[in-house]
Amino acid sequence: MIKALFYFLLVGFMLMLGACTTAPEKPAGFVVGEEQDKGEQILPDDRTSKTVLALLDSAQASAKAGQLHNAEAQLERALRIEPRNAVLWYYMAKLRLHQNRLAEAAGLAAKSNSLAGKDRKLRADNWRIIAHARNQQGDLAGAQQAQEQVDQLKQ
Amino acid sequence: MVRRPTRKRKSTVQQQNKRYSRTKSRIKNRLLRWPHWRKTVIGLAVLFLAYVVFLDVVIRVSFEGKRWALPAHVYARPLELYPGVRLSPSQFNQELERLGYRYAYRPTEPGTFARQDDRFYLITRSFQFWDSKEPSRQLDIHFADGRLESLRDASLDKELTLARMDPPRIGGIYPAHHEDRILVQLKDTPPLLGQALIVVEDRNFYSHIGLDPRAIARALWVNLTGSGGLQGGSTLTQQLVKNFFLSNARSLWRKANEAIMALLLEWHYDKNEILEAYFNEVYLGQDGNRAIHGFGLASRFYFDKPIERLTLPEVAVMVAMIRGPGYYHPYRHPGRLLERRNLVLDLMAQQGVIRQSQALSAKQSALGVIQDRTTSANSYPAFMDLVRRQLKEDYREKDLTSEGLRIFTTLDPSVQVTVEETVKQQVKALDRQRGLNDQLQSAVVITSTTNGEVLAMLGDRKPGYAGFNRVLDAQRPVGSLLKPAIYLTAIEKARQYNLLSLIDDAAITLKAQGGVTWSPKNYDGQSHGEVPLYRALVNSYNLATVRLGMKLGFEAIEDTLHRLGINKSIPPYPSMLLGAIELTPLEIAQMYQTLASGGFRTPLRAIREVMTADGKPLQRYPIHIEQTVDGKSIAVLTSAMQEIMRSGTGKGVRQFFPEDVELAGKTGTTDELRDSWFAGFGSDYLGIVWLGTDDNQPIHLTGGSGALVVWSDMMRRLQTQSLLPSAAEGVEVLPIDPESLLVAGYSCSGKVNLAFVKGTAPEYYAPCAGGGKR
Repeated sequence: MIKALFYFLLVGFMLMLGACTTAPEKPAGFVVGEEQDKGEQILPDDRTSKTVLALLDSAQASAKAGQLHNAEAQLERALRIEPRNAVLWYYMAKLRLHQNRLAEAAGLAAKSNSLAGKDRKLRADNWRIIAHARNQQGDLAGAQQAQEQVDQLKQ
Repeated sequence: MVRRPTRKRKSTVQQQNKRYSRTKSRIKNRLLRWPHWRKTVIGLAVLFLAYVVFLDVVIRVSFEGKRWALPAHVYARPLELYPGVRLSPSQFNQELERLGYRYAYRPTEPGTFARQDDRFYLITRSFQFWDSKEPSRQLDIHFADGRLESLRDASLDKELTLARMDPPRIGGIYPAHHEDRILVQLKDTPPLLGQALIVVEDRNFYSHIGLDPRAIARALWVNLTGSGGLQGGSTLTQQLVKNFFLSNARSLWRKANEAIMALLLEWHYDKNEILEAYFNEVYLGQDGNRAIHGFGLASRFYFDKPIERLTLPEVAVMVAMIRGPGYYHPYRHPGRLLERRNLVLDLMAQQGVIRQSQALSAKQSALGVIQDRTTSANSYPAFMDLVRRQLKEDYREKDLTSEGLRIFTTLDPSVQVTVEETVKQQVKALDRQRGLNDQLQSAVVITSTTNGEVLAMLGDRKPGYAGFNRVLDAQRPVGSLLKPAIYLTAIEKARQYNLLSLIDDAAITLKAQGGVTWSPKNYDGQSHGEVPLYRALVNSYNLATVRLGMKLGFEAIEDTLHRLGINKSIPPYPSMLLGAIELTPLEIAQMYQTLASGGFRTPLRAIREVMTADGKPLQRYPIHIEQTVDGKSIAVLTSAMQEIMRSGTGKGVRQFFPEDVELAGKTGTTDELRDSWFAGFGSDYLGIVWLGTDDNQPIHLTGGSGALVVWSDMMRRLQTQSLLPSAAEGVEVLPIDPESLLVAGYSCSGKVNLAFVKGTAPEYYAPCAGGGKR
């Protein structure tokens, strides 16, 4: 009985160790600042490499600590490794949006969209960023169009 | 009570005043009574004192303030290691060589590696990057099939997902005197170095007051008797003062200054501070323009190791060189240097710094200096030129040459080396082939399609040549490189044009400026009648392009060019349509970057980050992207540009690439074959090649027979990756039968794959596909 408990704990311990030494199994999103939308996060898809997930972890930690310049550098590193990963471009867009660099945020969101394929949720969020940017920049018609895209994708 | 003491004080003050005036008059009387010579002496003494005070200020300000102007150091991109990265063992080996990692049977310290075929074991150097400090790690790396297969931290026995090598240093931005140094602290240097220095240069360093009368006497004696001696008369302090503040002139005035300043320096600072300054100041040779100062840099430069790892014979070499880095030059006069090194070792043993046996065994070893790398300061002049120009927009020249900034650039040395090797071979061959007597020149730029980083650049066919930078400064007519902008303008009007729209390739005569007429010709001199849009681009038909361009209008085309990233104003002449505008290879790269990145204008960047000398973040140059062309239009245009590489003016690429590698590009040729251009891209690299002569002579090469050959060979060596199908929504790619211009089937021959905005593709199958509606 004690032996069984011992082995049980040992296995548990080993599993814990394993979990500590490998990249996180479940990828986290990328939250920057106090986001308005507390809704479901957009996560990197299954094809995202462990390398990029590790960099995203660092970027998230940097962003949390308010070191946006570091987060930016880490996201760019991730993008050099997976330039066609639409979610990474979206995270960059979120970062820029938080910094109120709207034109850049819109550009990055559009880039993300150009690679997003059939990911409706991601595309909707990118269009939301574009709509917000256009709205803030006074391009109301453009914002309206972008918002229509959001609505259409959400159906 | 209150008044009395006041009165009392008053009386005291009065008494004192009286006493003062008495003294004053006494001094005055005495002075008056003094003879003139005394006054002169006093005056001189005061002047002298003032001068000493002045020197004192000079010394303290420069010694305590910033002591050295540190040049900015420029780094290439750091190599990122992760499982799956495309990297061959030989490429990795080259990177290690670039970084000065040394082969060791059993690596024990940072900067050493062992290799067994596809497996490397190495200890990386730690490095402070912008986003984090990369620790030194023991890496066990395995390669397979041209990729990194596994990456382990051997000390932690753990698989790694990512590790970053230290970045190769590719140059510096120097002040006028071109001094460079790596500052070291005394505590980080091997104790033997200081001991050897003192034994050889200034035996009484720790006891004298800045000057050493015994040494002066000994030097005088040696001078008078002519008997050889190792030690000079100047103390280390005097030598430091001389290098620090004074000229090299041999005058009494300088000697006197030197003595006073040496005394003052000793007065203010302790011996170790002075020794440390000496360590950093001492001149130890040249690397091209760059002056090697200080043991820190010298140890890196001659032995490729940090100062703390210098061995006894290496320490002796450093100390031996001080007396005359030119005379005892490790590469030019190794014999002399070896002899003097052994003298230094003997002296060290004689003075008890080392044992006799140590000296004996050290004397057996070779000089140990690494291979002559004296060109390293001038590598990649074209790229460095771009870095400098981009930096000058944000920094003052003085800051760049004195603050020791660390500039992290986008240069990929392995790409750069590939470009250099290809150009060297191919341009030479083309030059010979066309009998151009070495006049054929070349400019090349390679960027990353995805983020606009400049990866490599060559401004002259000779890689290290730092003269005219043709990538940035050669304004050349671009010929047909402009055509994609015209066709894109048409494609963007998706309701009017698709790639199958017919345009007329009949002869045309237009009124040009000044009332003259202009009758452009096709390259083959023929007119091809009505041709589909894609074929006019694929075969670079001039007549069809001019007709199309005239229909679209100059303004629309100029607008497209601006959206693609060309900032110049475009002259509204018909000849513009055939590329009669002058652009630099870099401007062309900017234009094609927008095409290669799917319609996102991305300013080309050579710099990623700038950090301060002590590793603090200063400025980032992040990626900027802006969508200026709709992704669908770009997808359509790109499909036609891919056809150029399959059956059009770029088909020569197939001598270098198999059919299944999809590439897109465009040739450019100018009047009388004066310029040969090629611009093209795979999914990872964009490359621009220009060939021509500086005096604008015909080079008898078209874009296809000249620049394309260089481009293809270069891209093959770079293993550029095939283009991926466009991810743009609302685009379909269909096989088209070139005869009927309808959708082809399996049984059709010669079909071409073209992209269409959804709803604009042909609705019917070609006869060879059985006909009928789709």
